[in-house]
Amino acid sequence: MANALDQAVETAAAQKDVTVPQEGNGGSSAPATPSEAPLPSVAPPGEKKPPSEKSGVQTAPPSADDKPALAKPKSKSTGIPEAERNPAQPQLDAAQFPPVELNGRYMIYPSMALADLNSPQAMAYAVEDRREPGRQLFALICKPGLPVRTSLMRELKSQSINGMIPMADYGPVFWSPIDQTAVAIVLDRPLGGRFLDTFGERPPRVNEYELGKLILEPVAQAISELQAIDYSHRAIRLDHLFFMDKERRELVVGECFSSPPGFDQPVIYEPLDRAYAMPSGRGYGMSYDDMYALGIMTVFALLGANPVARLSDDEMLSAKAEFGSYQCLCGNERIPMALIEPIRGLLSDEEFERWNMEALDHWLNGQKKTPIQRRPATKPKIAFKFGGRDHMTTRSVAHAFSKNVPEAVKIIKNGKLEQWITSSLGETALADAITGLVAVCKVNDGSPEGSDDVLVSKVCIRLDPHAPIRYKNFSFLPDGFGAALAVEYLRKGNFQIPGEILARDLLSFWVGAQENRTPDLTSQERTFQTLRGFAKINEMGYGMERCLYELNRSLPCQSELLRTTFVDHIDDFIGSLDQVADHVDTRSRPMDKHIAAFITTHFKYDIAPHLKALSDPKEETSLIGLLSLYALIQWRMKVPTLYGLSSWLGGLLAPAIGTYHSRTTRRTIEQEIPALVRQGSLPELFDLIDNAERRHIDTTDFDEAQVAFAHAEAEIESTVGEGVDQNKAALQVGERVTATIAIVISMIATAVIIFVQTM
Amino acid sequence: MAKPQMQPANQEDMRKRGRSNLTWILLVLTFLVVLAGPTMILLLLGMLPTLVALIIDRTKQKSNSLCVGSINFIGVFPYIMGLWGGMNDFTAAFTIVGDIFNLLVMYSAAAFGWFLFLTMPSIISSFVLVLQQRKVAQLRGEQKDLIDEWGAEVAAIVEVQRMEKKEQHMEHGMEGIS
Repeated sequence: MANALDQAVETAAAQKDVTVPQEGNGGSSAPATPSEAPLPSVAPPGEKKPPSEKSGVQTAPPSADDKPALAKPKSKSTGIPEAERNPAQPQLDAAQFPPVELNGRYMIYPSMALADLNSPQAMAYAVEDRREPGRQLFALICKPGLPVRTSLMRELKSQSINGMIPMADYGPVFWSPIDQTAVAIVLDRPLGGRFLDTFGERPPRVNEYELGKLILEPVAQAISELQAIDYSHRAIRLDHLFFMDKERRELVVGECFSSPPGFDQPVIYEPLDRAYAMPSGRGYGMSYDDMYALGIMTVFALLGANPVARLSDDEMLSAKAEFGSYQCLCGNERIPMALIEPIRGLLSDEEFERWNMEALDHWLNGQKKTPIQRRPATKPKIAFKFGGRDHMTTRSVAHAFSKNVPEAVKIIKNGKLEQWITSSLGETALADAITGLVAVCKVNDGSPEGSDDVLVSKVCIRLDPHAPIRYKNFSFLPDGFGAALAVEYLRKGNFQIPGEILARDLLSFWVGAQENRTPDLTSQERTFQTLRGFAKINEMGYGMERCLYELNRSLPCQSELLRTTFVDHIDDFIGSLDQVADHVDTRSRPMDKHIAAFITTHFKYDIAPHLKALSDPKEETSLIGLLSLYALIQWRMKVPTLYGLSSWLGGLLAPAIGTYHSRTTRRTIEQEIPALVRQGSLPELFDLIDNAERRHIDTTDFDEAQVAFAHAEAEIESTVGEGVDQNKAALQVGERVTATIAIVISMIATAVIIFVQTM
Repeated sequence: MAKPQMQPANQEDMRKRGRSNLTWILLVLTFLVVLAGPTMILLLLGMLPTLVALIIDRTKQKSNSLCVGSINFIGVFPYIMGLWGGMNDFTAAFTIVGDIFNLLVMYSAAAFGWFLFLTMPSIISSFVLVLQQRKVAQLRGEQKDLIDEWGAEVAAIVEVQRMEKKEQHMEHGMEGIS
């Protein structure tokens, strides 16, 4: 065996009969761990040794015997859970799907899939580096719409992380097989393949002496370096380890960019708080979470199997809650003495107790650390029966409640829960809090705030304040709300449940339930209050779409218009919209709630007046708002020409032109539009449509025209209007004229008579 | 409820004003009779048709009276001039009005005035009607030009005014009923 892995496996096999010091017996030798230790899933219940018979085992851990429910099917006989990866796709025709260029350097071949390197949310393809032909690379094409970790990729483009698969480049590419633009991540190709694959059908066991060097050191290095740049990996698991070299000496942990943090992790790899959340809501987490995953991975590698494989996820979580992660996983297993302390440290359920990088470094360097004193959870006098199971912790009760709301409501409202908390746990404050929640629910009966789902959600938060917010099967930790929101939208196409969560202010309730108010919590609460404000406003640039982009700054714009492109930055936005103008129905508007929210989130200038106009129910005002907004973006972004978008908007401007009263002005504008469209200038177009001077003249002249019309009408009315006897009026005029003529004749005659008489 | 109270008050004012005017006329006439008695006798008897016309003319403009009076005055004026040029006394005045030929001249003039008033207005009204129709056509043309340039909304103000007028009419009508 030339490579390190094979050597490690061989060593493990050779150690079969070696005595291993065990904790609890003063470091004396204990019977060796059998190399083929019976897995809980295969061990017959009757054959299981009682805990007292096992050396190095502290308390009775959960065993498959106690759990009647069937375990969730695992991918392999070892029971080590693996993230589901995309299966191999049929080979595509190279002529039909030519290679795609990324950033002018990497050619990605859609026809050359590399199924063995697929990530759970991304497909692997062969890559050719134009500058360095022969360089071994592969590319991952990410699932469009799923938020990828762009900020981390940006960081890693300029620096590499030891112990993590190196990333060469990333960027959006138009992926012809799906007819969409997707993010491509180019990575160095692990020539030694996947760690687990090298074992074939054998259990992936690594002996205690090789474990540190082979796995712990490189992975810890990766965690440490990521921590230094304020990131966590959140995808550390056994099936995600690779050998970079053919000799299988250099082990690295795989990428963590193609999906939200913790998204692909099997539940067992997640610390209890995050494990209760749905995959998309597990949150960014911290290096502590990576350390926990490292601990789980170490146990699997050490035992070559999953010791709790027979337990379903829920049972496993209950057991972890009741006995603690270490006891749950290792309680029945023979752990080498030297590894007990690091595993216990890494698997500590309390973050402040869990081993950090410093502690692990010390251990790897051979220094001893004070053992963690196990603090057994407060056991209730009587177990709480719910959902056909006995629950020994409030944490387990909360989790069970969230899975069965109708039954939970009955139990909460009939006072059984409160009674159990008071009598069995003696936590009267908690019981009072639950009673208060029920009372508030009754007061709000009939309103959304008094719904069963809200009550159960709040009760769950009170029972287990550190656990995620769980509402209508939507469970997340506050730092995972953004990703959860994005995935919810990707899957369901709406924001119904997240919207309800913001409206019911469950996040503030969660923050209020925490014992210690850290600055982080305060900041999160402030963020969510802002988001709540956005969600309430049903106008362009606000709503849940705004929340989506505020929380997922690297998420590309999800507008249907930009479906085939990838716009994750405002600099690319206007140009992309200009490009799609030739391929869309130009009768529709180049605007929707996603575009408005994306612009509002990413455009740094004040666009409140534009958004107000854009949201106006009057079509013409809305159109002028749209044009002014795009004109502002073009001007601020210094984009010289936008022919497609100018033409698109120019064709939509009829209602806006209609805001001018004068037909002559309208005709003039209509005649001038084509010339400005040919210039591709939206500011010019906007100036033509909404020129202040022209509008003022139009308004003034229109007012004058109205007055003239009214005068004419009044004159007509007085002449031929209703109630006017035209003949009579004419006759009266005639009489008046006749009288006048008679007077004039009389005056002339009188003058003549005077003249004649005086002559 | 204020208006029905106001109307009788106005009528009372007008009645009072009418009485006051009559007093003034009688006063002036008395002075005139004292100062120019013969002339006044001549005018009174010579312009009797005008007085009749004034009594029977109920129109506000008094066009009939003005027409008859003006022509009637042409018939009377030469005799007034004769009176003023000769013996300006009551005897001379009665002599003039006692001559039937003189009265025929005065009353014939009044008859011509009547003739004018009966024939001229209908002829003039025909012309007026034609002129009015032309004016209305011209105004309609101007309105059409305004609508062509500014759209139908330019007429909106007229509709608004019409509606306001209707509303006012309805409100006042309701007030009268109540």
